[in-house]
Amino acid sequence: MARFHPLRVTDIQKTIRDAVVVSLAPEDGTTIDFVQGQYLTFRQKFDGEELRRSYSICAGLDDGTLQVGIKRVEGGTFSTWANQDLKVGDLLEAMPPMGNFHTPLDPGSQRHYLGFAGGSGITPVLSILKTTLAREPKSTFTLVYANKAVNSIMFREELEDLKNIHLGRLNIIHILESDAQDIDLFTGLVTEEKCARLFQHWIDIKSVDTAFICGPEPMMLGIAKALRDHGLSDADIKFELFASAQPGRARQKAKDQTAGSKAAITEATVTLDGTSRSFRMPKTGQSLLEAAIENQLDAPFACKAGVCSTCRAKVLEGEVEMLTNHALEDYEVAQGYVLTCQCYPISDKLVVDYDQ
Amino acid sequence: MSEEMKIEDYLAKGGVLSSPENAPPRYRAELLRLMASFVDSELAGAAGFADAINYGPGIKERIAAAKIVLEKTDNADKVLKIMGDFGANTTRYVNHHPWTARLDRDADIGAERIDGDMRLSVFNYPLAGWNDAVVMNLLMGRAVMLQLKEHCKLSYQPLAEAFRAILPVETNHADLAAEGIKRLMETGSDPAELQASVAYWWPRVDASFGADKSKRFQSLKKFGLRHLGNAELRKSWQTATRAELQVLGLDIK
Repeated sequence: MARFHPLRVTDIQKTIRDAVVVSLAPEDGTTIDFVQGQYLTFRQKFDGEELRRSYSICAGLDDGTLQVGIKRVEGGTFSTWANQDLKVGDLLEAMPPMGNFHTPLDPGSQRHYLGFAGGSGITPVLSILKTTLAREPKSTFTLVYANKAVNSIMFREELEDLKNIHLGRLNIIHILESDAQDIDLFTGLVTEEKCARLFQHWIDIKSVDTAFICGPEPMMLGIAKALRDHGLSDADIKFELFASAQPGRARQKAKDQTAGSKAAITEATVTLDGTSRSFRMPKTGQSLLEAAIENQLDAPFACKAGVCSTCRAKVLEGEVEMLTNHALEDYEVAQGYVLTCQCYPISDKLVVDYDQ
Repeated sequence: MSEEMKIEDYLAKGGVLSSPENAPPRYRAELLRLMASFVDSELAGAAGFADAINYGPGIKERIAAAKIVLEKTDNADKVLKIMGDFGANTTRYVNHHPWTARLDRDADIGAERIDGDMRLSVFNYPLAGWNDAVVMNLLMGRAVMLQLKEHCKLSYQPLAEAFRAILPVETNHADLAAEGIKRLMETGSDPAELQASVAYWWPRVDASFGADKSKRFQSLKKFGLRHLGNAELRKSWQTATRAELQVLGLDIK
């Protein structure tokens, strides 16, 4: 099971108005090993409820520091806190770096990489780009970087510096949604059509070995389609869907409105794939999962031993006893998640949702 | 670049996910189910094939069988690691079920899974000696190749990458089986015995493709976890494997 380690905040820099770059270091003077393009998952309590959020490492492997970029998301509890209240000297709890948004580097190779980043999607791409330019001296990198406007470009100056350090090996195309530019093609959204036009005159797509895409969903779809249409295989395209897809707000706790009683039967309501079904089930002898399946719900499961977590669902109302749990972490259980293969009702009424 | 799109729509349009954090609950469940099915099948397949090492008529055959057992276990490990990213307890998982357990050879369970594990139904039947093991390995190996080719396109990138690494290994296992049958035919094995094994395993492997019309397929397709239907995959397997058997001097009645 994943473990959290304390990391001290050693520096906080604002890169643009609503984004910070946070430098972190372990307390014991060691360093954290990571691979370019990986992310850190943090946990923090807000009003007693633990939230977990992942942010990509933006530092390169040779920067000698561990940094993540955190852009404030409208209504996002963690990102707002990190931008407004986090201070140098604070301790953050983080899991070891994770993620597969990278390809192996080889100092002898001469490859052409193409990166696409949308907004704060630049963070892992910056880590990849810096590391690649430093460790594969014959390779080149083309970055297509999409932003709303000039003043929302994260790491703008740092990218310019990198261009100068690695002369002729880093090419950057800024696409701005609302600011007009000299070249029409560089204004608007990065769509499939826009990519196709970029591949005509601005990017030699035939020479590209590997593409990295990190941004919001529609942008990723359009770019991936264009790349495939221009001959890249799925194995040549690396994706990282960025953090906006994560639920951002602290959730309200499920309320326990019914206490246990002596009744032997529970009124259960189970939601799966948007459909709710109510049925009566005994409090003993049959797990919640078995009862759901018996009542024609195609509930998910695999091991039936409390190990794999396939049958995870959320208890919205009522109380259950979970006999075994080898898969859910404490914070998930605190939020009401259960392994339905291991659950037996305690309360007379039970509302459970597989869709949350 | 900032317009909102639901993850479900993104997946339905061919989008790719790369970390557990982005997986919606129902997607997560179906993905875990798919991974459990693969891991259980590989563990059960390897456990069953371990006995075949001792049936091997020569040193080359024993090496081939041992290699298959090792590599199938390794393939299970690759996918189990990804289940671990989603919270599965990988240490306990390996020991939560007796993977060597088999039903009687004449049990008839169709495509049913047996309580407690998600292995494909075909892995619940016991092998009856070396020749039988080689035939099963060829027929199932070719089916696994088609299923893996399908899995290489699925929308969870770390898993698709694992399957891309696994596909050539499993292909080699089926090729070893084809070579094994060829050698058996050349060294005077009774073709009728091999033919009987083909007749035994053919419908059981066929059943592992699932029902032609599957409700689950539609939801898996929306999640980008499946692309080709069961019927289509089954047809490709039947055509290619029948032709291969004929070249080897065997047939389907």
